[in-house]
Amino acid sequence: MGSTDYPLDRQDAHQDVHQAIRPYVHSDKLSFSDALYVIVTTVDHKKLGLMYIVASLIFLVIAGLMASVMRLQLAFPNGHVVSPATFNRLFTMHGTTMVFLVGMPLLAGFANYLIPLMIGARDMAFPRLNAFGFWIFLFGGFLLYFSYVGGGGLQGAGSAPDVGWFAYSPLTERAFSRGLSTDYWTLGVLCSGIGSLASALNVIATVASMRCPGMTLSRMPMFVWLMLVDSWLILIALPPLSAAQIMLMLDRYLGAHFFDTQNGGSAILWQHFFWIFGHPEVYILIFPAFGILSEVIPIFSRKPIFGRPAMVAAAVAIGFISLSVWAHHMFAVGLDSASNIFFAAATMMVGVPTGIKIFNWLATMYGGKLIFRTPMLFCIAFLFQFLIAGLTGIMLGVTPFDWQLHDSYFVVAHFHFTLVGGFVFAIFAGMYYWFPKASGRMLSETLGKWHFWLMTVGFNLTFIPLHFVGMMGMPRRIYTYPYGRGWELWNFVASVGVVLQLAAVAIFVWNILQSLGRSDSERSGDDPWNAWTLEWATHSPPPEYNFEKIPVVYSSRPLWDLKHPEDPDWEFE
Amino acid sequence: MHSETYGDAAERTNLEHIHLPAPTYWPFVFSFGLMLIFAGLATHWIVGVTGLVIAARGAFGWWRTVIPIELHEDVPIDLLRRPAPISIEGRSVIRLKLGEADHRARIPVEVHPYTAGIWGGLIGGIVMAGLACLYGLIAQHSIWWPVNLLAGVVLPSIGNASDDQLRAFNGLAFFVALGGHVVMSALVGLVYSVMLPMFPKYAPFWAGVMMPLLWSAFIATSLSIVNPALNSRINWYAFVACQLGFGVVGGYVIARSTRIHTYQSLGFAQRAGLEVTPGGHRQEKP
Amino acid sequence: MASVSSALVPPVIDPAQWKLPDRGIIGIACLIITESALFSIFVVGYIFYIGKSLNGPYPKDVLHFPVLGTIALLSSSVTIVIAERALEHGRRALFQLWWIVTILLGAFFLGSTAMEWHQLIVNEHLTISTNLFGTTFYSLVGLHASHVIVGLLFLLLVGAVTLFGFPIETQKRRVMFLSWYWHFVDVVWIIVFTVVYIVGR
Repeated sequence: MGSTDYPLDRQDAHQDVHQAIRPYVHSDKLSFSDALYVIVTTVDHKKLGLMYIVASLIFLVIAGLMASVMRLQLAFPNGHVVSPATFNRLFTMHGTTMVFLVGMPLLAGFANYLIPLMIGARDMAFPRLNAFGFWIFLFGGFLLYFSYVGGGGLQGAGSAPDVGWFAYSPLTERAFSRGLSTDYWTLGVLCSGIGSLASALNVIATVASMRCPGMTLSRMPMFVWLMLVDSWLILIALPPLSAAQIMLMLDRYLGAHFFDTQNGGSAILWQHFFWIFGHPEVYILIFPAFGILSEVIPIFSRKPIFGRPAMVAAAVAIGFISLSVWAHHMFAVGLDSASNIFFAAATMMVGVPTGIKIFNWLATMYGGKLIFRTPMLFCIAFLFQFLIAGLTGIMLGVTPFDWQLHDSYFVVAHFHFTLVGGFVFAIFAGMYYWFPKASGRMLSETLGKWHFWLMTVGFNLTFIPLHFVGMMGMPRRIYTYPYGRGWELWNFVASVGVVLQLAAVAIFVWNILQSLGRSDSERSGDDPWNAWTLEWATHSPPPEYNFEKIPVVYSSRPLWDLKHPEDPDWEFE
Repeated sequence: MHSETYGDAAERTNLEHIHLPAPTYWPFVFSFGLMLIFAGLATHWIVGVTGLVIAARGAFGWWRTVIPIELHEDVPIDLLRRPAPISIEGRSVIRLKLGEADHRARIPVEVHPYTAGIWGGLIGGIVMAGLACLYGLIAQHSIWWPVNLLAGVVLPSIGNASDDQLRAFNGLAFFVALGGHVVMSALVGLVYSVMLPMFPKYAPFWAGVMMPLLWSAFIATSLSIVNPALNSRINWYAFVACQLGFGVVGGYVIARSTRIHTYQSLGFAQRAGLEVTPGGHRQEKP
Repeated sequence: MASVSSALVPPVIDPAQWKLPDRGIIGIACLIITESALFSIFVVGYIFYIGKSLNGPYPKDVLHFPVLGTIALLSSSVTIVIAERALEHGRRALFQLWWIVTILLGAFFLGSTAMEWHQLIVNEHLTISTNLFGTTFYSLVGLHASHVIVGLLFLLLVGAVTLFGFPIETQKRRVMFLSWYWHFVDVVWIIVFTVVYIVGR
């Protein structure tokens, strides 16, 4: 009898003490209190990953409902559904929740669940830090939502943030925001941000130090590569936000003057600092989507990814360039020409590696045997929608064009195409693809297709018209609009699309619940999609230790090599 | 290399337990305390102080799970979650090498020699010059008219010259125009020879007709900056005719040259002539 | 595994030879990188506001180069290396001695900063809300000082457990990581005093 060692700290004295032997086997049924204990004490990357994803989905529904209320208010001119103050809280909380409590934890969830499985490890490099990262994210979210009851209580919706998700100064200074809304925004996001940093550090350490024998960096799955670059971006781009928030708190509580224009401070400085974080942030959000696409498309085209090295290089390039484009959010602020030109040029440049990625996904599909199951459908929709998003982004990168459309619904349409049409669709693809691995059951393909079509039609119905009203001059963040500007038709159409999207998400949730709840749902087996990366070499769901033996790999498609010993990849790589 | 610890993916082990980090609630406690510290700023200082106490206790507890030794537990092999062996998809594969039967060939597979490109460019250039001088003779009664105007790209004096001066022979302009024309013709011919194999079907049409039209259009947009003297006097029909002459004749010369095979299925040493294949000279496998 | 007649044999990989970087090194390196990003923003803020205060006191009037504190902090980086070397060679008492010297030097630095702040606040009436110089000075130096405090706390923890007989020899790696953090804090101080006391005057 023996045991494998985890983790391999070679330099410290070897303490071969077996502290505990688990009394139960993982797949035993647990009572509710036992399950609660497991949740609070777990350091297992798979459980934490699922906890991240479940929490994000709950926040997704909450923020989605907020958006639905906003669209109800905007469906007709002179709407009376909510007051202006409530509307401000809605769009602030919608944006803040979606970015920090849905986007970031979803990417942490996917990364933490998949990375050890994909690199042949038993857990992340720092399992306890992993747990800490999840809980501080969740508690940060609670703190943010506590604002609804804190301060003024529920009457008047408490002190929920109402300053926009980017909290521009000087609105956020004490003089102009006397309540606690800005403080809750700052503190909640600061808290959750610590979790993101912890997660990113963990990913880098895991990828650097825990790959299985034979898995050189060039043999790592694309998803892992993209999460590695993503984690570097998080490490570098998140601290500017925290720094700016600390400065804001110093302004508000200790009378500092960082952004206090009445004492020589600069409100523009906040914008610089925020967008130095904010622009890389959107790439931080989209990289996991790129990673999911790079895993799903090859499997459903039955072809290896086209141009692997170029895909990795493009990801690194996007990461670098994204750190230099931030002021394209500030074209209308009145920076000097040289700055505007520089940032416009850099914004153009970032389109090039992104285009390389899109071309390579298309080239992967070209000549492949396409299988149109739900994950692939979401990926294909991503390609169309992200292309449109990228094009409108490049358009907005042309400074004079942006001067006309800054703060209009055109911008809203652009970033929802990237974030919903891109990120959310890719997340759905990833869910359908890896749900069988995590649960051992297949999701219903019929419900999946309903979900897909309702979501695609609804999403496009909502966000394509918003381009038009933006070009017709409708500004962002207005709680209503008058008759006679030609905005009525498209706003109404956009609001109709919301109904379809709500139905789609409801079907998705139902799909998950019915698959988990029924005793006769289709079992997936270890490898339902005939895939090639290591996570498919485990039982579905995997045991706590992932692999009975740490795998040794010889190429970037270890399962292909095992299934095709007469035609292995390592002959060519 | 197989042992009880390492193996192929989905291999089962004979071990009974696997060493994993022990679960612990201290990170949960520490994060709760940390959040309360932040919350204290927006609520009441007592909340913050409570958070500090909880966070300190949590930090200490967390510390003890790692120092002096990381707490582990032995997890028994889960008999209900054993991996299924990976089955071989039986089939045989005939593998083509790069370049064999055009497998993953990098086009072009056959190329034109560079010398053909330069000759084709020069001959095309002669035809172009001939046509231009013909135009000059017919329209301006002087073969020096197009020569002088061409030199206007480089010589600023041409921009101020009167029509009579442009009809007269100008030594400097002649040499400038001749030199520039020869160099450009040769270079364009070279590019032509490299690109010709990559044009679609009916390459002579695309290369000989469409390309000159395209670059004429491009010149039309920039001529006012590059050569204002020519721009104000140019006859576009004649200009395009000269370009077409270059394209068609030069292209014909290049296309007629013997193509060189790139032998992509051979290794570099053989293609470079450093090594010799068994047959004694470069040959492609069938 | 059944061998197919055309099956090929992969190159040999010996798991025992598979060496990857230590996760602790990567972890502390990532922490240092992310903290550097945090400090960069405060430094940029400081530089941005140089000369922009609407009213006094101004840097050249009230700032005096903190010679002793700087020497103390920079020397503590040397003493911590000496302590580490002693630990490497198993000289426990020597390690404890130099470790305590490091702590004292760090505490001296904090003390000198506190005294400087006291003098600035009480005598020169420079607070964080007085003007832009006050805002950026106290926030940048304060951020650095907070990192020194955290570092000192960990140094004290290590010193205390060693004093109580803990087998610190088994934690050489972690002591090394702590010293890296301490060196980082030192480098940040070099940047901070260059920006504040040299460039900003």
